[in-house]
Amino acid sequence: MAEKKEITRKLEEIHEKIRAEIPWEPVGPTPMPEIPDLRQWDMRLLKTYAPFYAPFCDLCCFCTYGKCDLTETRRGACGIDIATQQARFVLLACLMGCSAHTAHAGHILEFLIERYGPDKKIDLGGSINIEAPHIRTVVGLKPETLGDLVIAIEYVFKEITHLLDSTAMGQEGSCLDYESKALHAGMLDHVGMEVADIAQIVGFNYPTSVADTPLIDLGWAAVDKSKPVILFVGHNPATSTVVIDYLRENNLYDQVEVCGVCCTALETSRYSAKAKVVGPFSRQLFFIRSGIADVIMTDEQCIRTDMPVEASKAGSALIATLDKAMYGLEDATEMDTEEIVKQMVEDKKHFAILDPRKAAEVAAKVAMEIAPQRRKEWLSEGEAKELASKCNVCGMCEQVCPNLFNIGAGIAEVAKGKFDLLREQFNLCVGCGKCEAECPRKIPIFKIMQVAASKESWKVRAGRGSIMDTEIRTVGAPITLGTIPGVVAIVGCSNFPDIRDIAEMVDEFAKRKYIVVVSGCSAMVAGMWKDADGKTVYEKYPPAFDMGGVVNVGSCVANAHITGAAIKIANIFAALPLRGNYEVMADYVLNRVGAVGVAWGAYSQKAASIATGCNRLGIPVILGPHSSKYRRLYLSRKEEDDWRVMDARKKEIVDTGEPSPEHLAYVCETKEKAMVMIPKLCIRKNDTPQGRAIKLNHYISLHKKYMGGGLPEDIYLFVRRDPDIPLVYKKEVRAYLQEIGWKPKEPVGLPTLIGTYPSKVPVDAVIH
Amino acid sequence: MSAVIPYHRVNVLTGIKSARLIEDAQEYASLVQKARRPLLVLGPLLLKWSLDGKLLIEYALEIAKAANIPTCATAHVRAKMAELGVKPDSFYDVVEIINALKDPNWRGVKKEGNHDLVLFFGIRSDLGEQGLSVLKHFAPHLKTMTLCKFYYPHANYSLPNFRKDEQWKAFLESLIDNLKKGV
Ligand code: SF4
Ligand code: SF4
Ligand code: SF4
Repeated sequence: MAEKKEITRKLEEIHEKIRAEIPWEPVGPTPMPEIPDLRQWDMRLLKTYAPFYAPFCDLCCFCTYGKCDLTETRRGACGIDIATQQARFVLLACLMGCSAHTAHAGHILEFLIERYGPDKKIDLGGSINIEAPHIRTVVGLKPETLGDLVIAIEYVFKEITHLLDSTAMGQEGSCLDYESKALHAGMLDHVGMEVADIAQIVGFNYPTSVADTPLIDLGWAAVDKSKPVILFVGHNPATSTVVIDYLRENNLYDQVEVCGVCCTALETSRYSAKAKVVGPFSRQLFFIRSGIADVIMTDEQCIRTDMPVEASKAGSALIATLDKAMYGLEDATEMDTEEIVKQMVEDKKHFAILDPRKAAEVAAKVAMEIAPQRRKEWLSEGEAKELASKCNVCGMCEQVCPNLFNIGAGIAEVAKGKFDLLREQFNLCVGCGKCEAECPRKIPIFKIMQVAASKESWKVRAGRGSIMDTEIRTVGAPITLGTIPGVVAIVGCSNFPDIRDIAEMVDEFAKRKYIVVVSGCSAMVAGMWKDADGKTVYEKYPPAFDMGGVVNVGSCVANAHITGAAIKIANIFAALPLRGNYEVMADYVLNRVGAVGVAWGAYSQKAASIATGCNRLGIPVILGPHSSKYRRLYLSRKEEDDWRVMDARKKEIVDTGEPSPEHLAYVCETKEKAMVMIPKLCIRKNDTPQGRAIKLNHYISLHKKYMGGGLPEDIYLFVRRDPDIPLVYKKEVRAYLQEIGWKPKEPVGLPTLIGTYPSKVPVDAVIH
Repeated sequence: MSAVIPYHRVNVLTGIKSARLIEDAQEYASLVQKARRPLLVLGPLLLKWSLDGKLLIEYALEIAKAANIPTCATAHVRAKMAELGVKPDSFYDVVEIINALKDPNWRGVKKEGNHDLVLFFGIRSDLGEQGLSVLKHFAPHLKTMTLCKFYYPHANYSLPNFRKDEQWKAFLESLIDNLKKGV
């Protein structure tokens, strides 16, 4: 009895927080879900998509009982086994990622509430009514003001604490339960990201309810180095926007060049289209070592930890603007501005300045003072040859290279006056700097790379935030029927096997009339290629969330808009209530929205949590080869797995035998394989015959293009009846199906997992 | 014996159980021949790497032929094999074949039962090492062997870090000869 009362009181509290009495929609079964609330859904997913663990270490060193060897059947002193240890690690990674975004959101909210007060209205423009699909679905709240976003963020903070608690020594003993927790963290991450980006759009007046955002200059060569240059590095635009305000107010914006690396660059260009985007994280060290930046301003996430050392080496001044990374620098927030400027210019001191106004003023003044004294020229080929001549091809650099290639061979070629190999290798370089650190001859490899780096500049479309409700209304039907063959979200960091892969993928799928969505470093890199007419993918394809469009949603936190669009399809197009109704939303997306994420260069813990959040929502993710180091994938065993669904109309369980989507988290070794997996992972059980035929057409034709002809062997699993076979391949597919003894099966009218596992949600809840 | 450090430092072992390093092609050949159901997993680097102008995929196919080992083509290896007129015995991507191998009850690519020895050749070393880790931890029912020119600690049997390509080439040629001879 006591327990029941407790639960009721808790629910009452939740209802109060989400203002349940306002009946914009009925409150579903899981507003503000806690760890156990969506566990059954997770377990159902994990049954088909079992975790696949690739231990990176055989040991655990988390507590003083260790190190514990967990190989074979050994368990740690606390009783944990190797699988559970991997799952614990994955949960920790997801929590780091979720915390990074949520803390970012919290900081931005504080900053904006300080400026505008908590009652500032959330208005995303005339084309966006469902302003916060994640907050509405997960939290159950329809946020109207910045203050309402605080309610969402506080819920996420609380859940993070409970999840983190579970990783302490001697607790959770099931890898599946750790996975369920990781899925929970992933889901929370999308709430955190959504809060961050909505706050930014509202508080900084970013473009919203518009597709055709400005085209931004992109690339290191786009930066006008004849001017004083301020470089922003990181993710949080609180300071960069204030710097622009300061420059504008003081009529300095024409005299000072403002640019950025990583997501702050994307954010800043949403604020001012004049700001330049230098490139992704993988070009951070390269650009810093070029010395072009006079002042470097760091904020948070994806900023190098050796920034003070690197800034000093390059002769740049450094200001750390956020508490996340203060680098041991003196906190000058309370210091006199002129005194800070003097010490930075004369003594070449770096400072932490946590007041954006003050940081902006200092940055502008220091940049203008030191710029005229600094040499900012790219290295000449002659100088590069000279520097490279010390290389004795010892191979040390290759051994430490995380992308496993022999940069020393490229350097040795430069010594001979040949630059082609290094040009090629520059595309493979992920910019870590390990080679140079290891080189016994102290060869300045990054400097030499300047001669290999293209001096072209490109364009990236400024991030546009949410997908518009009007767009969802147009594409909802064709996406769920399959006649738009899929939504391909090419997102995330820059640990690419080859930087050129991204533009190629974007081009391939936009050309095929998929909806291509990009964000973060991938959005920048997509722009770093031009076709024969000199056009980047942003100039070549329309910016609409529609077939054949290429949409840049924005920075990493804008990823929430991509998953949010999937929820909006269920809510706006299918008219399913979303409020506190996560399971129904996720089930809809899994079975009916042909979307796939591609995180080809994922490196961060944030990518782990974003991807895991996609997975809980039923969106599969393809990862590049480095991502096996995340330790866990979610793979099915194709037809051997459980592909039963409920036909919600007939209330019958049907064994479809159709592995769609086949995996939830999958690593590909090569671009070619990814090109074939992308269309396959867009297949959904809800596809109409016409839609399925379109999807299979792309699957087959990409298979032929990249796999040396022939049909994919598993094509029989995805053909339900003859009309599913694409017209162009009718003869060939029919002959193959006949040869292997394929039998037709009925498509399922209204496929759902609800009803195939214990859940509080009734089957009728999925019928719209 | 001090631990062997893999050529690519990203693969350095944090653990105790590491691969037996074998340099003798005859010993490798006899391990292969003792296996009842070996499998050769072909990776995409076989299409990139060559020794004296001969693509590694050709060595791989000679090994498969010499010992009658079924093959699994990962990534886009099948495209090149089609060009060479050879049909792989199976097509799985690397994480998929490893996922299947993990299951002791899997029927193998020939549907005759799971494999007892899996040879990996031409997979990028970090992904390969991670895959071998999966099998080391979760597939005690089989042994793994590598043919690339680096030391792979997570395998059961690995080649050393060959300093020179000639050493690797000599090893592969000798392996093929020994397999043909049926030592
Ligand atoms: S947490 Fe467990 S496995 Fe890890 S070191 Fe401590 S006792 Fe060992
Ligand atoms: S480590 Fe230095 S000397 Fe050795 S190969 Fe690389 S660049 Fe040349
Ligand atoms: S900086 Fe580039 S070349 Fe050097 S080790 Fe890192 S990825 Fe390799």
